[in-house]
Amino acid sequence: MRYFLQRFSQFLIVFFLVTFGVMVLMRAGLNAPGDPARTMLGGTASQQQIDTITARYHLDSNILGQYWFWLKGMVWEGDFGYSVQQNLSVVDYMRPTILTTLFLGVYSLVWALIIAVPLAVYQAYKRDSFLDKSGNFFSFFFISVPALVFAPFIIYIFVTKLDWFPRIGEKIYPWDDLGAHFKNFFLPVVVLAVPLSAIFVRLLRADMVATLQSDFITLASAKGVPPGRTLWTHALRNSLFSLLTSVGVNLGGLVGGALIVEQYFNMKGMGFLLVSTILSKDLFVVQSLSAILVATVVLANLGIDLMYAVIDPRIRHARALS
Amino acid sequence: MSIDLEEPTATASEAPTTLVVTKKPFKMPRLGWIFGTIWLVTLSFCALFAGQLPFIREYSAKVKVNGRAKSYGWGPGWNAWFGTDKSSFDVFARCIYGARVTLLVGVGATALGLFLGGILGILGGYYRGRIDRVTSIFVDCLLALPPLLLALLLIYRLDDLEIQIWFWKVTRPWEITITLGILAIAPLARIVRAQTISLREREFVLAARSLGAKNGRIIFREVLPNVVPTMLTVAFTGLGILIAAEGALAFLGLGVESPQTWGKMINAGRDDLAKAWWATLFPCLFLLLSVVSFNLIGDQMARRFDIREAAI
Repeated sequence: MRYFLQRFSQFLIVFFLVTFGVMVLMRAGLNAPGDPARTMLGGTASQQQIDTITARYHLDSNILGQYWFWLKGMVWEGDFGYSVQQNLSVVDYMRPTILTTLFLGVYSLVWALIIAVPLAVYQAYKRDSFLDKSGNFFSFFFISVPALVFAPFIIYIFVTKLDWFPRIGEKIYPWDDLGAHFKNFFLPVVVLAVPLSAIFVRLLRADMVATLQSDFITLASAKGVPPGRTLWTHALRNSLFSLLTSVGVNLGGLVGGALIVEQYFNMKGMGFLLVSTILSKDLFVVQSLSAILVATVVLANLGIDLMYAVIDPRIRHARALS
Repeated sequence: MSIDLEEPTATASEAPTTLVVTKKPFKMPRLGWIFGTIWLVTLSFCALFAGQLPFIREYSAKVKVNGRAKSYGWGPGWNAWFGTDKSSFDVFARCIYGARVTLLVGVGATALGLFLGGILGILGGYYRGRIDRVTSIFVDCLLALPPLLLALLLIYRLDDLEIQIWFWKVTRPWEITITLGILAIAPLARIVRAQTISLREREFVLAARSLGAKNGRIIFREVLPNVVPTMLTVAFTGLGILIAAEGALAFLGLGVESPQTWGKMINAGRDDLAKAWWATLFPCLFLLLSVVSFNLIGDQMARRFDIREAAI
C-alpha cells in the first residue's frame, strides 16, 4: 500500500508538471492583458467579447491562478472550457474524436497481442527452426517500418490496385453498421498493429527463450507436466514483464503514431484534433486534450505497475515488506 | 642476501609454451549490417556531392516531355530514373537532395540527445537520492506525452515566438533539431541511468574511490567509458526513429522550408497514388531503407557489446 501511494504521488506530480508545462508553452508570448482571449477569438473579436471570455475563465489572473481555475473547473465541475472558434463546449467538441482514437487504439492493441503472443511462444519453443528465423527476420523488418512509409504501401496495394477497401471512409459506429465499421477500420488498424506486434514478438521471444532454460521448467517437464501446460502457464507467466512494460510505453506512441494514420485515412481522432487546435490556438482544447492523453498514459503505467504484483508473488511480497 | 633475478625468467622460458589454436569455423559476416553501412555511405556520398555527380539532376530542373513540362510526365525509366513528380521535377534527384536535410537533422538531434541524456542519466544513476528523483521525474514528464505531439507543440510555439539568442536566430532546421534532440533525451537517460547504477557498485569503482578519486574523476574515467558503447548503440537505433519522426513532421507540414524533404514529397504525392505511384513510393523507399539501415547497424552493435534489448 505504501508502495502504491508512493507511485501514485509520483504520477500525480508528472501529471501536474506536464499539464502546467503545456499551458505555459501555449501561453508564452501572450503577456498583454486580454491576449489569451483575443488569441482564442481571432482577430475580429470585439472588446466586449474579449472581456466576457476573460472574466468567465479568469484569464486576467497570473498563470498559476489560471492553471488552478482551469484544473478546478475540469475536476469539480466537469467543465473543460469552451471552444470559442467552434462555439461548442470542449467536451462536445472532443467526444467524437475520442471515440475514434479509442476504437483505433483498442483494436490495434488487441490485434497486436493476438498476433504477437502465440507467435512469440511458438518461436521460443521451436527455437532456431526455419519458422523462428523467418519470424525474427519479419519482426526486425516491421519494427523498422514507420507508419509514414507503411501506410502508402498498404493503400497502394489494397485500395488503389485491389480496391478492397474504401480510401476515405465515413466514420461509422459499430452500433450503426458493424460490417462497414470493421471494413472502415481494417487498414488503419493493420498499419498500427503490425509494427506494434513486431516489437512485442521480439521482447516476448527473448524473455521466453531465457525462461525456458531455467531450472523450474526442467523440473516441470521432468515431473511430467505436459509441454503445452509448461509453455502456456509456467513459462509465459514468467516472461510477461518486458511485454507489459512495452505495452505501457507504446500506449502513448499508439496515439502519436495514430496521428499519421489518421491523416492518411482521414479519420478525425484526438491527434488530428490536437494538431488543428494547436494551429488555431484554441487554448482550452489543446490543454484538455493533452491532459486526457497524459492521464491515460500515466494511469496505464500505474496499472501495469500493479499488474507486476499480480503476476509475480515475489514482487508482491517484496512490496508488502517495504 | 642476493636475489637471483635469472631464475624465474629461466623457468618461464623453459615452460612449454604450446598455444592450443582451436580452429574457428568460418563465420559469414552478417549481411544486414554490411548492407546498412553500404546504403548509408552511398547515400551520404551522393547527397554531399549531388551538385558534382553527373547522373544526378539539379533538384530545381524540370524534366520536360517534348519540350513541355508535364505533370507526372515520365514514369520510372531512362529519362528520369524514378519518374517525375507533379511539377515535373526529377524524383530521384529530389530523393538524393532530401537526404541532406534528413541526415543532418537526424545526426544533430542525436548528438544533442546523447549529450543531454547522458548527463541526466549519469547524474541520476551516480548520485542517486534527490538528484535521481528529480531527473527521473523530468524523464517521466518527457515520456508522458506522445512524442510526435510533443514535437508538434514545441515546433509550433518556437515558430511563433521567434526566439533570437544574441545574433543566432532559431530557424526551422534548428527548431526541428532541438525538438528531436529533446525527444531523444528520455530513452537515452533511462538506459544510461540503469547502466550507471550497476556500474557504481562494481569493484573497479570501489577501488578508484578507495584510492581517493573524486566523484568527477570516477564519473569521467571509470563510469563514462563503460557507458559509451551502450549510448552509441541506443543512439544508432534512435537515429532511425528520429529520421522517421523528421519525415512525419515534414509530412504534417512542419518540415524544413526547402522544397525537397522525403516527408514533404510523400505528402505531396499521396493523393495521386493511382496516377503516379512513383512520386510517393520512392521517397518512402528511401526513408524505409535508411531507417532499416540504422536499425541494422544498431542491432549489430548491440550484439557486439552484448546489450540486452529489453533494457532499451
